[in-house]
Parts: sequence; C-alpha cells; structure tokens
Amino acid sequence: MKMKIEVESLPRVEGHGGILVELDGKKVTTVQFKGLEGPRLIETLTVGKTPQEDISIVCRICAICTLSHRYAAIRALERALGIQVPEKTQLTRTLMHMGEMVESHSLHIFFLSLPDLLNKPSAVALLDQFGAEVAAALRTKKLGNLVMSTVSDRMIHGENPTMGGFGRFPTKEQLLAIKKETEELIPFGMKTIELLSTFTLPSFFESDTLYSAVDPEDGKFGFVADRLILSNGEKKSIEDYKSVTNEKVVKHSFAKHSLYNGKPFSVGSLARVNLLGERLDGEAGRYFKKVYSPRWRKNPLFNIMAQAVEMLFALEQIPPLVDKIIALKDPEFIRPTRDEGEATGAVEAPRGTLFHHYRLKDGRIAEADIITPTAQNFDDIERYFRLAAENLPDGYEGDPKAIMETIARAYDPCISCATHLVEIRRK
Amino acid sequence: MKKTNLKVGIYEFTGCAGDALTVIHAEDELLDFLTVVNVSSFLMAKSDNVEEKLDVAVLEGSISTEEQVRHVKEIAARSKTIVAIGVCAAFGGIQGMKTGQGGWEERFKKVYGKPPAEVGNSMPMEARPVGDFVKVDYVVPGCPIDKDQFLKIFTRLINGASPEQLSMPVCVECKWNGNECLLVKGAACLGTITACGCGAACPTYNVPCFGCWGPYNEANILAQYHLLLEKGYKSDEIKTRIRNYGGTKAAELLKQIA
Repeated sequence: MKMKIEVESLPRVEGHGGILVELDGKKVTTVQFKGLEGPRLIETLTVGKTPQEDISIVCRICAICTLSHRYAAIRALERALGIQVPEKTQLTRTLMHMGEMVESHSLHIFFLSLPDLLNKPSAVALLDQFGAEVAAALRTKKLGNLVMSTVSDRMIHGENPTMGGFGRFPTKEQLLAIKKETEELIPFGMKTIELLSTFTLPSFFESDTLYSAVDPEDGKFGFVADRLILSNGEKKSIEDYKSVTNEKVVKHSFAKHSLYNGKPFSVGSLARVNLLGERLDGEAGRYFKKVYSPRWRKNPLFNIMAQAVEMLFALEQIPPLVDKIIALKDPEFIRPTRDEGEATGAVEAPRGTLFHHYRLKDGRIAEADIITPTAQNFDDIERYFRLAAENLPDGYEGDPKAIMETIARAYDPCISCATHLVEIRRK
Repeated sequence: MKKTNLKVGIYEFTGCAGDALTVIHAEDELLDFLTVVNVSSFLMAKSDNVEEKLDVAVLEGSISTEEQVRHVKEIAARSKTIVAIGVCAAFGGIQGMKTGQGGWEERFKKVYGKPPAEVGNSMPMEARPVGDFVKVDYVVPGCPIDKDQFLKIFTRLINGASPEQLSMPVCVECKWNGNECLLVKGAACLGTITACGCGAACPTYNVPCFGCWGPYNEANILAQYHLLLEKGYKSDEIKTRIRNYGGTKAAELLKQIA
C-alpha cells in the first residue's frame, strides 16, 4: 500500500519549510525536508563591501541567530586582519552570546516544541495547564532579549558589537540589572529541566548518529572555539570546516545539504551536551548528571532537554561574567594591522555550529562562505524521518505527520539561515 | 484590552523573520495581542492556522519565488487591509540591494552552480517588495521593525483609526538623545536620509547609521551624497552604502545622481 506523509508548511519554526515522506508498504521511497524560503544569495552581496558593512549584512541572514552570525563574522574578520581584542571585549561578547542562548532556547522549548509534547497547537493553548511556566518562560526570554539589547543596542540586528570592539560598552547599572534578574531566574532554569524530564519521549526511530561541535580550548563547556570535536573521536581545526560540512545542492530545496564522509551528522544543543556535557559544573552539571541517559545519543527529541541544560548553564554564567566585566576598564577600539587576509570564524549558534569564512583584499571582502547549522542538520533530519516512517509501530495511534513535524521541530531548524546560500567558487 | 472580532493573519515571505519575531518578542504584550484579535494564521507561532477572510493581513519579507507571487495575491484577495512590515516587504531588503543593476542570474549560478530552476514547483526570482504585486495600505519600516511603532499602528488599526505614517529622519531621534553628530566627525552616517523609529539605536552607541530602515519619504539623497563626497568618500562606496538596505526605493532615489 502506498502512503504519503506531507506537510506543506511546517509551523512553529523559523522560515518556510515543507516535509514529504512517501512509503510503499514499509519501504520508504521518498524523504524530503524542503527549504522553501526564497533564495537571497547573501554571500554574493557582501563581496566588495567593507568588514563593517559585511557584519551588518550577514547578521540579517537570521533574526534568531543574529548575534551568532555577527560573532562568527567578527571572529573570522579579526583573524584575517590580525586583530586581537582585550579581555573586556571578549567577556562582553561572551555575555551577549549567553543572552542569545537564553532567549533562543526559552523560545524554542516553551513556544515551539513544548506544544508538541502536549499535543497542542501553540503556547497559548498551554496557558490553562501551564500558565505559570509559560509566564516564567516569557520572563526568561525577556531576560535574554535584555542582555542582547543592552550589549548590541537593540534586540535584533544591533550594530554595537563589531570588528575591533564595541561602539559603547554597557554601563555598570545596566549590567547589574541583568545580574539581578538572572539570579532570580536561575531557579526557573532548574525547574524547566525537572518539568521536561517528566515527559516520555517516543523511541521507535532511535538510532546512533555522529555529532559535531566546537571544542573550547580552555577545556570547559562553551560555545566558541577555533577547533572542532566529533563523536567519533576526531578533532579538527575550524580552518578545515569544509572537510566536515561538504555542502551539496539538492533538487528539492533552496537550502544546501551537508554530509561527513558521505554520512549525515547532527549539530546543535544535543550535539554539544553529548560531546561536552561531562565538562558542565554548577547546577547545570548537577542536573546533567541527574537526567542524562544513553538515549540522548540516539534520539533528536532530547534536544529540548539539552537546551534546558544549556539554558541553565548560560544563566549561571551571566552573574560571574557581569562581575568580571564591571571590574575592567573600557578598552580602546582595536584597528586592523593589515588589509588582506583569509580566515574562518566559528561559534555555536543556539541550533549548532556556524562557520563564516572570508578572504579580504584591499580592505574589502573578496570571497565569502557561510555554513549554517540547519544546512548541516538537513540530511540527519531526513534520516530520522526515514527511520520514523519505516518503524512506525503497527496500529500507531498518533498522526504520522505530527511525528515528522515533531522530529523536524526538535532540531530547532532555522530555514532562513539554511537558505542564505552560498559559495563563491575558488579560482 | 477588549476582545474584538477582527481576524488577523501574519505571513512571512523571503527575509530573516525578524519582524514577526519582533511581535513574538513583545513579551509584555504578546498574550494580549494573541487574544484581543483572532489570529487566524501565524505560521511561526502556531499550528492551528485557518486561511480565511481577514480584516488585517500583516506581511513580512520580500517576494522572491513565483509561488510567493501567487500566495501574496491570494492573501490580498481575501484581506481588507494590508500592512507591510520591515524593509524587505517595503523595499525588497538586503536581497534587493542590487535591484536594477542586473546580474542576478549570474549570482544565482555562482551560488547554486547552475542557472535558476524550479524548486518545489516554484521558480526563483530577484527579490521585490510586496507592493509590486498587491496594494499595500500601510508600511511599518525597519530592519527589524520597532515593537512600539508596530503596536501603535496596530492598535489604531484595530480601533478603526488610520495609523499615522511618521516621516522623519533618524537625525531627529539622535538629537532627542543628545548624541554628538557622527557625520560631523567624518563617519559615513546615513541618519540624515533614513526613516526614524529605531530611536537612533546605532548612533547612540557611537556606531554610524547603516540606513537599515530605508530612505524616509523626503530623503534628500543628493545633499547627503555631496556631503559624503566632500568628506572624502568615493562615489561608488556612498551609493553602495545607500543601496545596502534601500532596495527599490534607493534605486529610484539614486537616479537623481548621474
């Protein structure tokens, strides 16, 4: 018997995506996760621009990952042009990045994914049962936004963080307000993990996969580094990113796909926690040990658990960061030492590793390449669609469409990001 | 706020979703917003979407596939009022910065390694503003839009009043904030020609305005262009900077400069 599982427009994700799975009996004949967002050709738009214009343009690839794009671009451009920024600049960038994690994870857990676990159409429909939690989640999201807008000058696409430093550093009063609100919300971070661990997640599509994430040089859990770690034990410099990401054009999508040694792999919160979770300390470390299980390595739905652990980690990082930043004097802006160079920058966006690569000539962008996390995840998402379709239990009571949607959404895909598209070919 | 019977749809075309996200980021007002009107369709926020006759359709993003042309016309045909939010919907956005300069097909080839072709039965095309395909009643500029400006306009709309369209440059807000002028200091600040509403976000942080809200209605492009020439900027870099966010509107205004 032939069966078609089709979602024309996937709701509660960023951007426009569709799902198509076709079966002939138990045999899956088609699996497609389609990026249907219109093409924008963004990298071709940055060629000939100044680094400042590039940073301003590329963060517009995505509103949710705006600061991650900005941060990855800044790191690449600074490496290329020989800029080293002082400690206060580094710490302030870490603070803004923690803000983005808190904002994005709280949005995804409570507003995009939790309705799936409770079989509801939206967070508004959760209000009767979980009114207090949804309100606290909004407050947490607002804190993330407060951190981002304080550091970057507004909530989305703030231009304050740039190559060489900040136009203006946040004031002591602003930073202390962030610290106070964060301390009040850390208990909710713990409560979120407890709440999510009460749900039973379906297991019929479970299967091992390969994970990849950045590997912080200080040996701690974190979101920024110049090297990668993979779950097969390999380590790589981010300059070798192309050997991991291997982008290819597919017919059914305006987004490119990635394969590592011909096989799909996953990046994102679950990848990071699977790879580096043992390094967590504080309450995040304590909760990680309490809730972690080997199933996390096989089932993408655990991504929201991993996000909850990371949300708590990010919240716990903020107060000590604030104290360190306040103790340091505002540094001077650092200017480039040369106007030519080529380098890669990588940061973990909330939904996975993001690479920006630039070659500069005469102080202008000559070549740009951007690889987004969702583009890397597309093939693994399709692999889990296939597994779910093949192993759908006989007499399955749920809607097969809903399980596909739940898998896709668990990855927190960002389809605008994936469809920024790409590649100025090397001559 | 009192519950109304108004039906509203929020739709996202090609862009970064930052304008719809700004609505979702209105934490203090979000639940009010979602309950005071009937949000029939908002794909980014909910699953139970109903495509029906609408009082207000809010459109974000530029149009960059044939399927989107069909979709935006279909929405307009069942909507009383159309509000375009953000510079992508208003002028084409960053993906429309090369409008009128040609070369889109070559750039497409560079990215995909092949000429433009259908994906999912939809042919891609260079980004255009929604106003090129349907009649737009109100524009809320921004990249992204400002939450308060959107809520003010929206509140007026749902109460049957006409929203006011502000027409002032960023410079006005910059003066209100008491900032030192970056243009006077020699920076290529576009505050003089850019629509206000951001609260002079960047100049207030010592960062020159990139013009991300697009040119305001009475923007004196010619004067800004000559001012920046006098300050030592090259003709091409000035035009490029004005084009980055100005899309079709910048292309039109730049015709004044031979």
